[in-house]
Amino acid sequence: MVQNHTPIYPVETGVYETDFGFKGSYNFLKAITSPLFVSITYNNDSVHLDFTTYCPAGGDLRAVLVPEPLRPPLTAPGVEFVVDSEGQYQASLRWSSSRTEALMKHLQRNNVKLLLSSVKQEEVIIYYAKLYGVSVVECLSSEEMALIREITGVSPYASFGDDIHREITETAVAAFCEPLLLGSQRCVHVGFTSVCTFQPHCLILCGPVDGVNELHAAALHGAFTMLQQLFKRVDQREECRAEGESQNEAAGVGSWHSSATEKQLTIEDIFCNTNRVSERQLKTHKGETEVQIVDPDLQGSDSPACVQTNLQILSNPTSHIKEFSVATEGDGSSRDIQKLCAKCERLGDSHENCKSNSLVANQKNYSTAASAVDNAIVITACERLDVGKDLEKTTCNIVPFKHGKSCVSIAQNYSNILIEAGSVLPVGGYFEILLHYYIQHYAKQFQQSEVTVISNVVADALLSIPKALYRTTEQNSFTKFYLKAINALRKNQPLPMTEKGLESVYCKYQLVISVLHCVTELLSIDLVIGVKRPLQKIEDNDSEDDF
Amino acid sequence: MSRLEAKKPPLFISEPLTKDAVSQSLSLLSGLLKSCYGPAGRLKQLHNGVGGYVCTTSQSSAIFSRLSVSHPILRVLTASVQNHVSRFSDCGLFTAILCCSLIENFKSLSIASCTVIKISKHLLSLCMDYLKSEVCGCRVSVDFCSLETLRCLVHSILTSKPACMLNKPEVDHLTTLILKAFMFTVPCHVETNAVLGKCIIVPVKGRRVLDSTVLPGVLIETPEIQLAKPLTVKRSCSNMIKIALFCVSMSGDLFNPEEGTMTVHHGISLEMSELNQLLNVGKQLVSDEVGLVVCQKVIHPSLKQYLKENHIVAVDRAGLSLMEPLSQMTGSKPIGSIHSVSPSSYGSLKDVCIESFASKHFVHLIPNDTVVCSLILCNRNETAWDELKRACETAEHVLQLTIKEPLALLGGGCTETHLASYIRHKSCSLSTSTFKDIDCSQTQYQLVADGFCRSLESVACSLNHDDGEILTDVVYGHCWFVPSGFPSVSNLSDLVSKCGCGINGNSGNLNWRLLQGQFGSPIIQGCPKEPSGKVADFLTLDCFAAKCSGLQVALETANLILDLSYVIEDQN
Repeated sequence: MVQNHTPIYPVETGVYETDFGFKGSYNFLKAITSPLFVSITYNNDSVHLDFTTYCPAGGDLRAVLVPEPLRPPLTAPGVEFVVDSEGQYQASLRWSSSRTEALMKHLQRNNVKLLLSSVKQEEVIIYYAKLYGVSVVECLSSEEMALIREITGVSPYASFGDDIHREITETAVAAFCEPLLLGSQRCVHVGFTSVCTFQPHCLILCGPVDGVNELHAAALHGAFTMLQQLFKRVDQREECRAEGESQNEAAGVGSWHSSATEKQLTIEDIFCNTNRVSERQLKTHKGETEVQIVDPDLQGSDSPACVQTNLQILSNPTSHIKEFSVATEGDGSSRDIQKLCAKCERLGDSHENCKSNSLVANQKNYSTAASAVDNAIVITACERLDVGKDLEKTTCNIVPFKHGKSCVSIAQNYSNILIEAGSVLPVGGYFEILLHYYIQHYAKQFQQSEVTVISNVVADALLSIPKALYRTTEQNSFTKFYLKAINALRKNQPLPMTEKGLESVYCKYQLVISVLHCVTELLSIDLVIGVKRPLQKIEDNDSEDDF
Repeated sequence: MSRLEAKKPPLFISEPLTKDAVSQSLSLLSGLLKSCYGPAGRLKQLHNGVGGYVCTTSQSSAIFSRLSVSHPILRVLTASVQNHVSRFSDCGLFTAILCCSLIENFKSLSIASCTVIKISKHLLSLCMDYLKSEVCGCRVSVDFCSLETLRCLVHSILTSKPACMLNKPEVDHLTTLILKAFMFTVPCHVETNAVLGKCIIVPVKGRRVLDSTVLPGVLIETPEIQLAKPLTVKRSCSNMIKIALFCVSMSGDLFNPEEGTMTVHHGISLEMSELNQLLNVGKQLVSDEVGLVVCQKVIHPSLKQYLKENHIVAVDRAGLSLMEPLSQMTGSKPIGSIHSVSPSSYGSLKDVCIESFASKHFVHLIPNDTVVCSLILCNRNETAWDELKRACETAEHVLQLTIKEPLALLGGGCTETHLASYIRHKSCSLSTSTFKDIDCSQTQYQLVADGFCRSLESVACSLNHDDGEILTDVVYGHCWFVPSGFPSVSNLSDLVSKCGCGINGNSGNLNWRLLQGQFGSPIIQGCPKEPSGKVADFLTLDCFAAKCSGLQVALETANLILDLSYVIEDQN
């Protein structure tokens, strides 16, 4: 039977790794069209194109991966086949055919019931496969072959060894192998026994139109990525280790103090890592700017005091709220931001760099703030998820902080970790409000006007997220939300929460860093040059010598 | 180096549903589909200006596969409906009309689309719970011990396709044939996994529909066979006919050599060598007592002649589509090699004979186990035949779906009006916590529920293509059609005899009201009752699985479309 097997639906393959030992694999994520928005998750299997030939087989079976045509060829590239008699020609063909049969017999003896071939096999192969009860699936893509190899740990079967009778070792064990009807589409459903630390799963997404399914598949990829990010933590110690000498500086200081210093150091470190481009730019500048890089370090050295004041401010509610309400009444605040942005642009080049420092610094400090200064609530150390544990259960298991705890003790608790693995916050703009609130306070401790101005710009820009979120519902709901949240923060009360969703603090942290990085880069551009030809990527060799 | 062309900016349409062009195309499509709906639906002729094939149809599958829809929003709609049809074959028009109607009705409400979507999802869950519950008043269970309800199902499908051009005896005849064919495909001995057989539709165009028939087994067209001679087939010892099924070509062509070179010495003919090999196979077939050889591809004339001399019937060019049913029916394994033929690949047949319909001659392969059968389908012209084929395939698919879930829904608009009155009743008696959960007010809920019910009712109304009135009763919530030409003042109860599906008769005082007087529809309504008995011989029934899916697809697609606030089209 000659049939063409072409995948009708987009097949996506990917293996994702995270640093806590969980290796999630979603293979053959198929978007199948069906009327219901339901997703079915199957354990331990893979869904693929239809069988070329299917022989029902019960119990455990073995499968081999075939990367090449199985029929022994008479000729090969560079090989000449000389026919000197009709008998010889027929004998050769008979040999080829009998060899094929012997191969299938051999496979059958070895309990191989499934051939997974990346190429189209000849009719004779299909015939003997059917005769000896071997199912065949043809035209697997290279990604699918690679994934099966990874799941099962087998290497492709090489059939033309000298000894056809040797034991076949390259077999994968499968619990079952059967056709599966998905919508109007027939697929192959194989239950491979995994040799990896993860069990392969198939997720079948259903929706009324293919386009919707693609969106859902993309959303699912996003959710997976988010979950993997969720279990990353930002460890202060590690990052300080990276910057050895700075740590020495901090050593010997009291634990609380040192943690504060380290915070600053970490900021510097991350800044260097993420902002390499601007760092390079900095180098090309004169000494003036270099002094400014050192600036945060200097701030860091006297930061114990800063943090102290900071905490005091938090414990003694002050009247900043008035400023905020002025800023948010009407649409004034967005204009303010624009004005401030304009102002920023007018700052000189060197200031630009200084700003990028302080912007990132602000952000970093928040991440400590999220754990250390957070008088509010929920930064929660969600239980670390074990692989295979019920996700829903664990994500619901949020342990809220006791609000009565003194800030100092919290700060001590988290002195080593900036963001605990699995930290989450409720959705609905709380992250932005908290960061906004913190940055406002952070700005207060500096008398220098630039840092204060820029901090305020960032703080106000953050509010554009909750503003957008509350825009769709009734009017003034943002103002209400904002006042409620800020009041609660001031009074050291839990934030009023209505939403059920949660978001990963680590992802938010990365997001803010990326946004600030992007903004910095954009603001550093002073000329845009249009070119007609597509730009060619130039290898990164030291081109400075050319000038 | 290829020249670079400047990219066009994408076309950006915000709030696409508020645009006039979209509303116009939507109402045009809706009108077109409504006019096709039901037994009295108007036909559509689809052809392109330069001539060629003409399609006359009223079926959604035929229309959507030929009609090109330009606007992306409508493309979402048609793609949804086509996906539904590919899975269920039936209820495509119902889905499409309901979807258009829902979009139009929901759009006219001044409620935020996210609220509408939440409420309509809740309404859908109410409907689905009701349809799946035992108390559901608009469904009947299908008893496979008697043919009556199955006949109704098939009958309803055939009568709802007016482009098949069938009269009543023809519908009855085909209904019987389709049921017979379906019964053939149900295996007699069921093990753990029952697999239905296959009904192969054999086209015979230009003959009366009443000449159609069903035969067990497979028919293979063989133009060269002589009718005059009776077919003598060699039988094996158990009075069975051994069949060898070849999927490899037996034409004697050389196999394609792989990469590399092949050098043939002078005086050697590989073609002769191949033919000799074929004749060797022939010899083996003779010694193995094979009575019939079927080849998917071509058999070399010499081999054919040899087989004929040895009283083996040879049939070639059977085609790929017949291979699987042939293999299933005879238990033979398609042979893919002419160098070694294993006797274990042979299958067996009960009998082989020659049939002829119109001017076509067929070899008829009669199996022991009749899971495969052939429906010889006749119709007068090609277009009507195509339409009839689609209808028969739909009917077969519906029967397959029904055997999985032995339920049917009342047709003739009655399920739609009944569901509408159930929802009207139910939406009045919801608790306040429901509204809180959905995050909407009771008024909003009522408005959306009303739009939903009116959409359902408008589907029932589209069954009516003349000027007559459509009524619904307060007791059963069924749909009643008043023929046109009666003065509107006359008493409604005098004008109707039975409801759309035929289950209820005019037993007086059912408190009818006009269905199309949409704005002042009465709200006070009890829960619609289950019908007490049935009046007509034939109920109009719809496939349960297909209609349930249609309802869901229509609503989910309408929600999807309502949720679109931007359409961004790449113009490159």
